[in-house]
Amino acid sequence: MATYPNFTQYLIEKFDLSESNVYLIHELIKEKYISSEGFLLKPGEICKHTFFVESGLLRLYSLSENGKEHIIQFAAENWLLSDRDSVFFREPSKFYIEAIENSLLIPLDEYLIKKIEELSSNFRKNNEILLHNHIRHLNQRINLLLSASAKIRYLEFIKLYPDLQFRVPQWMVASYLGITPESLSRVRRDLANKS
Amino acid sequence: MSTKNIELIANPPAPHFVGDGFRVHNFIPSGFRMDMERMSPFILLDYNSKFHFPASDKPKGVGVHPHRGFETVTIAYKGKVAHHDSSGDGGVIGEGDVQWMTAASGVLHKEYHEEEFSKKGGDFQMVQLWVNLPAKDKMSQPKYQAISKDKMGIYKMPDGGGNIEVIAGNYKDVQGPASTFTPLHMSNARLNKGAKAEYSFPAEYNTGALVIEGSINVNGQEVAKTDDFVLFENAGESFTIEAMDNAVVLIISGEPIREPIAAQGPFVMNTKQEILQAINDFNMGKFGYLED
Repeated sequence: MATYPNFTQYLIEKFDLSESNVYLIHELIKEKYISSEGFLLKPGEICKHTFFVESGLLRLYSLSENGKEHIIQFAAENWLLSDRDSVFFREPSKFYIEAIENSLLIPLDEYLIKKIEELSSNFRKNNEILLHNHIRHLNQRINLLLSASAKIRYLEFIKLYPDLQFRVPQWMVASYLGITPESLSRVRRDLANKS
Repeated sequence: MSTKNIELIANPPAPHFVGDGFRVHNFIPSGFRMDMERMSPFILLDYNSKFHFPASDKPKGVGVHPHRGFETVTIAYKGKVAHHDSSGDGGVIGEGDVQWMTAASGVLHKEYHEEEFSKKGGDFQMVQLWVNLPAKDKMSQPKYQAISKDKMGIYKMPDGGGNIEVIAGNYKDVQGPASTFTPLHMSNARLNKGAKAEYSFPAEYNTGALVIEGSINVNGQEVAKTDDFVLFENAGESFTIEAMDNAVVLIISGEPIREPIAAQGPFVMNTKQEILQAINDFNMGKFGYLED
């Protein structure tokens, strides 16, 4: 049986599950493999679950009318990825979720979540913390996009995703930061010149 | 001296693309029983088996990326690669050439199919090896050794049996041009059908043979085909390779570096802390700057 080391750690740390309870959860997992450039979600579809990324790397993005890609979020190992409003309100999504690397995902379907809830004494509280943490991230991100310089956005980005830059091409980083690849180059060059 | 026997013969694993220009089989470190510790100082072996790239106006390859803590050795068998790095260096690795880049404290570089090759398209066949550095040299100055075909040490096989091209270390009394940080031997045997080359390395050296062309009989016991990798046991010293038809074989053998390995992506250091430092230095521009 697969051991899902990252998901196991997640269950133990966030939901205080005992090792034997973790195994009960393992038995319910319907793992999902997706190869690089494969899609987990496309606009118009209803996102069915939140996914835990056991291994690999994906991105959530929208395409504007002129075909330009706007990356909302990257999700590497130990990240949760979802179009939360599509899941919760059962509305068609506006987003793509596409794998950047071959990825192994653990779909947190209703049944699995119910089981974790049953086994975990602090599920509600910690789930709420996770949700508010997510909202905090989004707020910070909106604020940075509206008010911060390219350099500040870049410095915040490397704090959040320290090892992402050698896993994704520069244009994706630029797309996430809401700046042109040329501006990203300039920021990196200025930092290099100062160091 | 006793015979160094075969531990295993690995067929090429399913290929994957590095960037869009290198279609490689990874033998080290993901191959069966060929992790970094077992194969040290050879901590990565990516093999682009002969593959036809169609003509392309935009050269294919790998964009800007960093390295720290080891050396990259690129051996071009078919096709040409152009490379550039953050120190302003650059060049072309042509057929038969070897580029030995000591990334050490850190470089940013990019590697693409050379422009003319890319425009015409053609067969492409390369090996990229990562050679680990001992802790004391990991943060030394980066440097290059561009080893063109005509600089190789050449041992002529008797009776017109072909040549052994020595890249590093030695074959019998012929020295290779590359300077290395730890003792290792690297050579290409270009053997005509029926020729037999004898090798001898210390028992503890991690040793392998990659069949680039043709097929070979090892120790008169087992046959390895094109694109197979032969891993030798860490016992015995001597082995033989006999060309079943005209063959090209890359032979590597090195003294293991017995130090802890912490590896993540393009960084190979001794501790997790040093890896985090490398990531931070890269993010903060301390590897310099290179236009994509």
